[in-house]
Amino acid sequence: MREQLEQLKSGALQAIAASSSVEALQDIRINLLGRKGELTALMKGLGTLDAAERPVVGQLVNSVRDEIESALVSALESAQQNVIAARLQTERIDTSLPGRRAQKGTKHPVSLVIEEICSIFAGLGFSVAEGPEIEHDWYNFEALNFPPEHPARDMQDTFFVENSLLLRTHTSPVQIRTMLKQKPPVRIIAPGTVYRCDSDATHSPMFHQIEGLMVDSKVTFGDLKGILTVFTNQLFGQKTGVRLRPSYFPFTEPSAEVDIACVICGGKGCRVCKNSGWLEILGAGMVDPEVYRHVQYDAENISGFAFGMGIERIAMLKYGISDMRLLFENDVRFLRQF
Amino acid sequence: MIVTYNWLKEFVDFEANPDELAALLTMLGLEVESMEKLGDGLDDVVVALVEEKRQHPNADKLSLCRVNNGTEVLDVVCGAQNFKQGDTVVLAQTGAILPGDFKIKRSKIRGEESCGMLCSDKELGLAEESAGIIVLTPGIAPLGTPVFTALGLKDTIFEIGLTPNRSDCLSLIGIARDIAAKLDIKINYPSISLVEGPEKTDAVIGVTIKDPELCPRYAARYISGCTISPSPQWLVKRLAAIGIRSINNVVDVTNLIMMELGQPLHAFDCLRLSGKRIVVRAAEEGETFTTLDNQQRTLTAADLVICDAERPVALAGVMGGLNSEIEASTTSILLESAFFKPAAIRKTAKRHGLHTESSHRFERGIDIDGVVRALDRAASLIVELAGGVLAEEAIDQYPGKIERTPITFRPEKANELIGIDLDRNVILDILSRLECQITQNNDGSAGVLPPSYRIDIEREIDLIEEIARLNGYDKIPATMPVARVVSDRPTRHQEIEKQLRNLLVNCGMTEVINFSFTAPDAAGKLLLSDSDPRRFAIKLANPLVDEQSVMKTTLLPGLLETTARNINFRSMDLKLFEIRRVYLPREGEDMPREPLCIVGAVTGSRDGDGWSRPNEPVDFFDVKGIVESLLDFLDVGGISWVTDNLDPYYHPGKSCRILAGRDCIGSVGELHPSVQKNFALEKPVFCFELDFEKLVKLSRTKKTIGAPSRFPDSSRDIAMLVPEELAAVKITDCIKAVKSKEVEQVQIFDVYRGKGVPDGFKSIAVRIRYRSIERTLAEEEIVALHKEIVTNLVDKLQVTLR
Repeated sequence: MREQLEQLKSGALQAIAASSSVEALQDIRINLLGRKGELTALMKGLGTLDAAERPVVGQLVNSVRDEIESALVSALESAQQNVIAARLQTERIDTSLPGRRAQKGTKHPVSLVIEEICSIFAGLGFSVAEGPEIEHDWYNFEALNFPPEHPARDMQDTFFVENSLLLRTHTSPVQIRTMLKQKPPVRIIAPGTVYRCDSDATHSPMFHQIEGLMVDSKVTFGDLKGILTVFTNQLFGQKTGVRLRPSYFPFTEPSAEVDIACVICGGKGCRVCKNSGWLEILGAGMVDPEVYRHVQYDAENISGFAFGMGIERIAMLKYGISDMRLLFENDVRFLRQF
Repeated sequence: MIVTYNWLKEFVDFEANPDELAALLTMLGLEVESMEKLGDGLDDVVVALVEEKRQHPNADKLSLCRVNNGTEVLDVVCGAQNFKQGDTVVLAQTGAILPGDFKIKRSKIRGEESCGMLCSDKELGLAEESAGIIVLTPGIAPLGTPVFTALGLKDTIFEIGLTPNRSDCLSLIGIARDIAAKLDIKINYPSISLVEGPEKTDAVIGVTIKDPELCPRYAARYISGCTISPSPQWLVKRLAAIGIRSINNVVDVTNLIMMELGQPLHAFDCLRLSGKRIVVRAAEEGETFTTLDNQQRTLTAADLVICDAERPVALAGVMGGLNSEIEASTTSILLESAFFKPAAIRKTAKRHGLHTESSHRFERGIDIDGVVRALDRAASLIVELAGGVLAEEAIDQYPGKIERTPITFRPEKANELIGIDLDRNVILDILSRLECQITQNNDGSAGVLPPSYRIDIEREIDLIEEIARLNGYDKIPATMPVARVVSDRPTRHQEIEKQLRNLLVNCGMTEVINFSFTAPDAAGKLLLSDSDPRRFAIKLANPLVDEQSVMKTTLLPGLLETTARNINFRSMDLKLFEIRRVYLPREGEDMPREPLCIVGAVTGSRDGDGWSRPNEPVDFFDVKGIVESLLDFLDVGGISWVTDNLDPYYHPGKSCRILAGRDCIGSVGELHPSVQKNFALEKPVFCFELDFEKLVKLSRTKKTIGAPSRFPDSSRDIAMLVPEELAAVKITDCIKAVKSKEVEQVQIFDVYRGKGVPDGFKSIAVRIRYRSIERTLAEEEIVALHKEIVTNLVDKLQVTLR
C-alpha cells in the first residue's frame, strides 16, 4: 500500500508538472481525487488494513493527498496566469476607432444665450415675464411715451397688422403689461421675439431681445450701473470694462447706451469695435415718469430702471459669429457646433 | 450731423485734440460714429520753392527741378507744365504716403535722380480732377510747412449720430453749446452786422399767415440789387467738408446758416413772386405743385404751402418750388425764416417721400425764438457776398407766441434719483451753463426756464437727466440696489419649456429657429383643406417680401424647408426640432392666440455613417420613441395612438394622432409622399407635432414612488400568430387586463413575418415578467396566472399559439 501511494504520488506530481493547461490539470484532479479517482479508491482500501496500521497509512494518504492538492493548486494558478497572459498577448482592439455614442443634439445659440442671461438675473432676484408678439400700438408705443407721429417712432421700423395691432418692435411692452398687473416691487426680465421692418447684413426682420425692469421705492441710476456691471461681468468675464453714456429712449430718462470693453481686442481697437475699444450691447435708463403715469404708478414715491439688449448681438460677441444671418439659416453644420 | 473740428473751434475755444473731443462728445450723448482726419499722415507733404527748373535730358515732357524744402535743396523730376522757376509748390517728400496708399520713394526717372514728387490737388485727395500741380501763393507759409497746415485744411470731420430728442444739435452752434457747457467755457456766437437800406421791407412785400396753427411764426427779409455768382472758396470748402454741394452764393449762405444755427431758410426770386406777397396756407386738396427737384406733386389739405398772390411757391419746410427758384439772373431776393409745426412737416415729408435737411430739422423742432436771428445772420452774409441792399426791418409775423413757464426743480431729487451727492450750487451751476434761467422758489425748489432751443426739456426729470449728463455718467458710482425680497420661481410653463428643450437635445435633436412669418401658400403645401383653420393666417400690412407676409399658423412648413435646405448642403441625417409660437386669430377678439408648439422632423439614417452598426434608415418608431420619452418625462397619462382623422400631410398608413384621454395633443408619422414632394424632399421624413399648452396642462406634477421588490422574478414567453391588422397594443392591453399585481412587466420582444408565417399574419412574441413585492411566487401560482393570460389571448383575440 505504501509503495502504491508513493508510486501514485510521484506519478501524479510528474503528470502535474507535465501539464500546462487548466483542462488537463482539472482532469488530473478528477482522476486522482474525484469520487472515482485513484487516491479515493486507495483510501477506500484503508478499511482492509490492520487497526494498528490504519492510522499510519491514513496519515500517509492524507499527506500524499495534500501534496498532490497543493501541487495542483499552484499548477492551476500558473496555468490560469498563462491563460490570462496568452489572452493579453493576443487580444487587441483599435482604440482609435470612434466610440458608439448617443447622438448629441444642440440648442440654438439664441436659446443658449437667453437661458444664460435669465439664469444670471434669476440669481439677482429677477423673475421671467412674457407678453404677446402681436401687440397693441398702445403697449408697444404710446404707454412707453412714443406719442403718435413722434420722430422717435422712426427709430423702430414697424410691421403693422390691422386694427392698430403690430408686431412688437421691442420687448418693452412687457414692462407695461407687468406693471399693469402688479404693484411695486417689480423685478423682471422678459426675453422674447421682436420684429423690425428691416433686412440687410446687420439687420434681421425678426430677432430677440431681453428686457429688464426693476421698480422699487429707492432705486437709483447708480443701482442700474451696479446691476449692469455685475451682469456684464458674469456674462463676459469678471474684468470686463463697462461704460454708460448718455442716450435717448422715450420710455427712460436719464437714458444710457451701455458699452463693454471690446471682447475681441480687449479695448485696444479692432474691426469689430470700429477701433473705439467699446462695444455697444444694451440700452438702459431710469423709467420715465410718463410711463408710470400710464400704468398708474405714483412716480413721486417709486423709482426704477429698465434695460434691453439684443440677444443676437450678444450671441455673436460670445461665440465670435461675424454674420447675423447665420443665426437664422439653421444650417446644422453651424448649429451642431454649439 | 456732420461737424468739423475747426468750425467748432470758431465757436468754442476748447483745448481738446480731435480724439479727446470725440470722446467728450460721445460721453455727452452726442455719439461720434466716425471721424476722418484730413491731412493726417501727410506731414511729409510740404510747402517748397522751385529754385531751378530745366529740361530733362532724356525726356521731352519731363523737367528737372531743384526744390528747396526749407532745410535742403532736392532734385525732383516733374511731368507737369503749369509752373515755372521761382514758384511755390507742394512737395511730397520721400516717405510720404499719399491717398490711395501711394508711397513716395527715391527713384531714378529716365536716368535722373528724383527725391520726391510735386503734387496736384487730385494726388492729395483735394479734388476729383486737376490740370496740373498746385502752385501756391508765394510766401503763404515758411518752406517746409506741412501743406495741409499752410492751407488751413488740417481738420477733422466728425459724424455724430444724434438721438431724436436733440434737435438743438442739428447745428454747429448746438454742438458747440454742449461743449461749452461741459467745459464751462464761453461760447462765441456768430456776429451779425446789418446794414439796412432806406426802403422798408413791409413796403415791398407782404406776409399773411392763414394757418397760425401750422405756422406760428414767419419772418422775411428783402434784398434788392444783388448778384448771383459762384461762392467764394472758403464757403465752397466749408460746405464740402460737411457734404453739401455748392450751388451759388445765395443758396450756399442759406445752407451754411442752416448748418450753423439749425434754422432752415429759403430764398425766393422776388421778381418771380406774383404780387410780391407771401401767403402761408393749407394746400387745396388735389392742388399740384412742382418742387425744386423737378417733381410734380399732388398736394392734400394736410400739406402746408407757401404761396405768392396766386399759387404755391414752396412746400412749407420741405422744399422750394421750381417757379421761384434763385437763378443766375436773379437780382432781388425774399429770404424766409419760419417755424412750422413739427408733426405737420413730418406728415408731409412722409406722404411725399421727400426727406430734406430742412424737413428733418422742422419735424424734430427748431428754436422758435431763433428765427429772426438766423434770418438776420443770413441776410448780412448774403449782402456781404452778393451785394445789394437789405430793406429795413424784417417782417416778423408771430401769431403763435407762447409764454413759457419755469419748471419746478428740486436739486435733492436729482441727487436721489441719480445716486450722487452734489452740492445744490453745483447742480444749479450746471443748469445755468446750459443757459437755463434760474429763480428761487419759496419752498426751496428752483424755477428753471430752459433756453428756447432746448425743446426737449419740459419736466423736472429732463433737468435731472441734464445734471447726470453734464456731470458725467462716469462719475456716478455703481451701487447694488437695496431691494425688498420677492419670492418667485419660474412658472410651470417656463420650466417645462426649458426641460423639453433639454430633453429633445438629449434625444439627439438640433434646435432651429425659423422666422415667425411665412409665405401665404405655406398651408397649401401641406394639402390643408380650404376650410382648415390653419389657412386663416394673420397678414402683415407692410411685409418686406411675399415669403414673409403672413404669421405662421403651423411650424411644420418652416421646419420642412429647413430640412430640405440642409439636405441641399449634403447634411443628410437630420433630427431637427423647433419650439416656437404660432399665431391663431380668435373669433370676436382682436388679439390672436399665440400658443407655443413643438415640432420635430427626422430623416436619413439612424446612426449616421458609423463603422460598428448597420446603417439603417430612420423610421416611424424612432420619432414615436422621442415623443414617448417626452410624454413619459412629463408623466402625461391616458395616452393612446389612433389612426383616424389624420391631418392630410401625413402618410395615412404610417401615422397617428396622440390622444390623452379623448383630447388630441399632437400627432406623429411619416410625411405624405405628395407633401414630401412639395418640399422637394427625396427621402421619407418623419415628423411630430405637439401642443405645448396641452402638455403643460396634462403633465402630472406629483409622482408616487414605490420601493423595488426584493424577491426573485420569473419570466414566461408567449409566441403567437395574429392577423396582420391586429394592433400590438391590443395584445399588451389584453395581458394587462388580468390586473394582477404580480405581472411586473409586459414586453413585445419580437415581431416577425416571413418563413413559417402565413400571408396576412404576423408572429408576435411577448415576454411577461412575474414578480411579487411581498414574497417569492410559487411555481404553481405563476403557471396559473400565465395560463389565465394565454386563455384570455386565445379567447378574446383569437390568437394562435406557436
